Amino acid sequence: MKSRITLSAGLCLLLLLLATAPVWNLIPPALAQDGDASEPVELSAQVREFFETNEEGKPVVPAELQEYYGQLPDHARKLFSKAVEAGLISSAAHARDLLSLKLSPDKMELVLKDNCILCHTDKDMQSEETLWHIRDDGSGSTTLILQNFLADVHFRQGLSCSGCHGGHPDQTEMSDDIYERWPDSERRKVDRTWIPQFCGRCHSDPAFMRGFNPSLPTDQLAKYRESKHGQLLLGKGDSKAAQCVSCHGVHGIQGSDSRRSTTFKSNIPATCGKCHADAKYMAGYKTEDGSPLPTTQLKQYRKSVHGQALLVDGDQGAPACNDCHGNHAAMPPQISSVSEVCRTCHSGNGKLFDGSKHKQVFSTHGWPECAKCHGTHDISKPSDTMLITEPGHLCFDCHTRYAKDNPICNATAAHFHERITTMEAAQANFEQMTHTLAAKGLDVDALAASLSELNDALRQSRSAVHAFDRSDFDEVADAGLKAIETGDAGITKSEKEYRFRRKGLLFSIAVMVFLALMLYLKIRQVEAHQKSS
Amino acid sequence: MTQPSSEDLVSRRSFLDWLLGLGVVGTLAAAILPIFRYLKPLPQQGASGPVHLSAQDTATLDHDQFVIVRSGATRLLVFEDSSQKLRCLSAKCTHEGCTVQYVPGDGVIWCACHNGRFDVDGRVISGPPPRPLEAFRVDKEGKDIVIDGKLT
Amino acid sequence: MNQPAISNPVYRWLDRRYSLGNLVEFLKHKEVPLGDHPMVWYYLGGTTLFFFLVQIATGLLLLLYYKPGEASSYESIRFITTKVPFGWLIRSVHCWSAHLMIVSLTVHMFSTMMLKAYRPPREITWITGFLLFAIGLGFGFSGYLLPWNELAYFATSVGTDSVKAVPGIGEWLLQVMRGGHDVSINTLYRFFALHVVALPLLIFALISIHLLLIQRQGMAPPLTHESKGPGMKFFPNFLLRDLLLWLLCLIGLMILAVMLPYGPGVPGVEWELGLKANPLQPAYPGIKPEWYFLWIYQLLKEFPPHLWVMEGPQAALLMVSVLMGSWALVPWLDRKARADKPSPGFSDYGVGAILFVVFLTLKAWDIGGHGHGAEVDVRAVARVCAWWTLGLAALITVFRFLVYRHRWFLFSGGIALHVALHGLLGMSYLRALVAAAVVVVIAWALTLVTGSSARTMRRVSQ
Repeated sequence: MKSRITLSAGLCLLLLLLATAPVWNLIPPALAQDGDASEPVELSAQVREFFETNEEGKPVVPAELQEYYGQLPDHARKLFSKAVEAGLISSAAHARDLLSLKLSPDKMELVLKDNCILCHTDKDMQSEETLWHIRDDGSGSTTLILQNFLADVHFRQGLSCSGCHGGHPDQTEMSDDIYERWPDSERRKVDRTWIPQFCGRCHSDPAFMRGFNPSLPTDQLAKYRESKHGQLLLGKGDSKAAQCVSCHGVHGIQGSDSRRSTTFKSNIPATCGKCHADAKYMAGYKTEDGSPLPTTQLKQYRKSVHGQALLVDGDQGAPACNDCHGNHAAMPPQISSVSEVCRTCHSGNGKLFDGSKHKQVFSTHGWPECAKCHGTHDISKPSDTMLITEPGHLCFDCHTRYAKDNPICNATAAHFHERITTMEAAQANFEQMTHTLAAKGLDVDALAASLSELNDALRQSRSAVHAFDRSDFDEVADAGLKAIETGDAGITKSEKEYRFRRKGLLFSIAVMVFLALMLYLKIRQVEAHQKSS
Repeated sequence: MTQPSSEDLVSRRSFLDWLLGLGVVGTLAAAILPIFRYLKPLPQQGASGPVHLSAQDTATLDHDQFVIVRSGATRLLVFEDSSQKLRCLSAKCTHEGCTVQYVPGDGVIWCACHNGRFDVDGRVISGPPPRPLEAFRVDKEGKDIVIDGKLT
Repeated sequence: MNQPAISNPVYRWLDRRYSLGNLVEFLKHKEVPLGDHPMVWYYLGGTTLFFFLVQIATGLLLLLYYKPGEASSYESIRFITTKVPFGWLIRSVHCWSAHLMIVSLTVHMFSTMMLKAYRPPREITWITGFLLFAIGLGFGFSGYLLPWNELAYFATSVGTDSVKAVPGIGEWLLQVMRGGHDVSINTLYRFFALHVVALPLLIFALISIHLLLIQRQGMAPPLTHESKGPGMKFFPNFLLRDLLLWLLCLIGLMILAVMLPYGPGVPGVEWELGLKANPLQPAYPGIKPEWYFLWIYQLLKEFPPHLWVMEGPQAALLMVSVLMGSWALVPWLDRKARADKPSPGFSDYGVGAILFVVFLTLKAWDIGGHGHGAEVDVRAVARVCAWWTLGLAALITVFRFLVYRHRWFLFSGGIALHVALHGLLGMSYLRALVAAAVVVVIAWALTLVTGSSARTMRRVSQ
């Protein structure tokens, strides 16, 4: 009997185990073990000597760099040994410096094949002026940093030192070609007039550039010649004027879509500001009417709504210097045409302005259309206070001077102001109420919808101001007033609901407390009865 | 103190029982009434249900080739593209939240605030908007145009 | 109830068919133990049951409108709270009652532990109670995800992540729980099935067993105050009192649900719907699990990534398993109680457990931390929480000393020492724990050797 029980119990357990079969394969397979230790690497005699060199008891080339070397592919290590044997990598310290970059194998091979880099990173061979530092350690020139150069767009495309400087990467000595290609180094520092044409050798040749980046424009040199910078540099020989290197850099050039590039949108104000915000540098330059060229633009721009959007909020849609002034053809826009620049983004307001009374008036007076009221570099968020019909406010002051005989002007401004401030006050109220009511657990969907309609109407109304016409303005402002009505109704409804809930609670509590009291009395009654019986 | 008569006791007890009953009924009522209101289904659409275009909105759509409708707190742009296909996108520009509009002549969706442009699928063509407009499923059932959920 | 039941026509109709005589006799004699102990503890099981019944009712009502799904979970709850008449109330009650149920459950558990209701013949009642506790937490965890908002999504990610530490089947368990590698809508579908079918079936079965055992055996009398004389009749006395308490609980629940529809604003007790879950969004700063999980969450944080041969989370999980296991096995571990003798050691163990959990929970709330997320000063938090916990420990100890005349303070003292070492002296949490454990073991050995505890025991029992 017992054995039968045991047997059946065993069979049941087995069946139970089999029933779980569908999930067996859900148990993930054991992961493959991590790579086994690699075999030791063959080192050439010279390399081994470098690796075994010690200084103050510690190896000059640390163990992790030796390990990095060991993991480089065969070809790279062969190149390394060859360079060491040729004396191009002249010391253990030099070897360590090159290895410390921990480059990917293909970049390492590019470096090892380029004798220019090998020689010019050798501290023993170079002077302060010609030594390339491995990374930016604060000492030395900021343009001779290898780490930056390895990210340079020219280097990455295969154009290394010799592509610009001349010579050949296989050469182990400076050649005449290098010395003769450019003006000598002392002259190069003060005379920059040869640079645009030098870069233009490649960058203005469409057939040549097509082989590297067909989408890159090749008209920069032509545009540059027409620009103010070009006119100064090439026309007057003024080497203080900006040329290719001033904005793009020389050994660490990045494309404009790279965040580190000097021509990345968010970096452009600083790049232009290097000269244009430096009062000492810009001393002596004058505007068309003879007054000194201002250097406050960058400061103004930083405070402006465009500057805040680009530099603080990171909004890449906001304009930087080049969006209004141009890149290679940079020129200050003419007074008559600066508003055309604004219209490239603010087309809506531009159209409204074109259909308004102010268009003719501004043209008669020769005023720049947008800049007259909003400024140029210092454009701040337009304020509703501009519309206030009192002295010290924009519209009123201008009307007082130029539209004395026309009372409609100030009346319109006053109407605009009144409607807009009403909507703005309602907007602030609705926003606050949305939070308050939501926190109380009430439904704020309808209020949020009214608020969104009001936001639309307010935005459109502020835009409609540019038509400077009461009826056009009212078309959009009235929608705002309607939204205020529905919003207020919504708030009232929500507050009613809130009071209903509280009243409901009070009533229910009252009933339940009554019941509780009755229960309590009943308990007393029952127990009194029990005691007496 | 003299003992109350058994009759008094019984009447007092019944009174208390009656009050107790009243309390129970009251409490039950206070509990059941909200539940009854809760149980009754709502007239038409649920919040996660489809949006039907009103007759007025349909007329606007026929006339202007686009109309902007509301669903809760969101705005939707319903329009007919150049190949007569009915489409629906979010009407809230992804830049600063202005309401966009459909420009039938160019076949683009345009935001007047900063000149942002989107194609009929909601993808950004030019201008500052950072993200595309969300697409919604819209169908025409006879004369009724219904927007129902997001197109994933 | 005081009238003879026989005259009632309904009763007679039923009795003729089902012979209710035995049942009526049993019910007439059912008693609740009386003594000079506060009766309040005997009501707590009932209040837990009350809150659970509220959960079933409100849960069923919510189920009429809730639609699980990627595009409808969040939206349907939004619909319920904004558009459905009294939907806001049903949901608010459901959320509040969940938390109140767990509070009641926890106090009930600790009171039965302190009063040693687990001693024979009621061991299985304790075990079923322990399982009910686990299932209750499971309800809380699974229900939390259903609104599919940011908070729920990230809390569930963090919570389910911890099962990876289970040895062997950890990865499998994680994927089965989540319905995939990461938390997704599939996780919600599984949690929904758990919350609405699997766990209810399980809990109905367990509650039935739990209540049946109590009916069969009667409620446990407290140990040191053996009942003198008859207890209180269950029908009608205790029942009426119980109903009154349930009514008061209902009143409290309604006030909370209407006045604080989004919870008291405590981390882990917020159910403002907020934003819909967006897996692409970075995690919510200051994300924390529900308050009743905070102690495990904090304990996991105290472990280093590796501990001897185990990974940190695995070691933490082992520790929690050992602690919970010892808690479940208390009926068998407490030999003094098994012999119906006073067992202050285990009362002290209960107090120690309270202090242990309270300290971790306070720390998880970053009390005294001034700031949120990464800027919280961990040392300051440990210090402030230590003071609060030690204060609580002092209060409890004084109370026990004066009112209950306890003299056994080794466990709670050990926990207090651990709290002081970690919070005030700056030792790491684990090192402080080990140090305190060593001190406790040595002290315990000393008491055994000197026999002082035995002498104290004799004095107390006289």
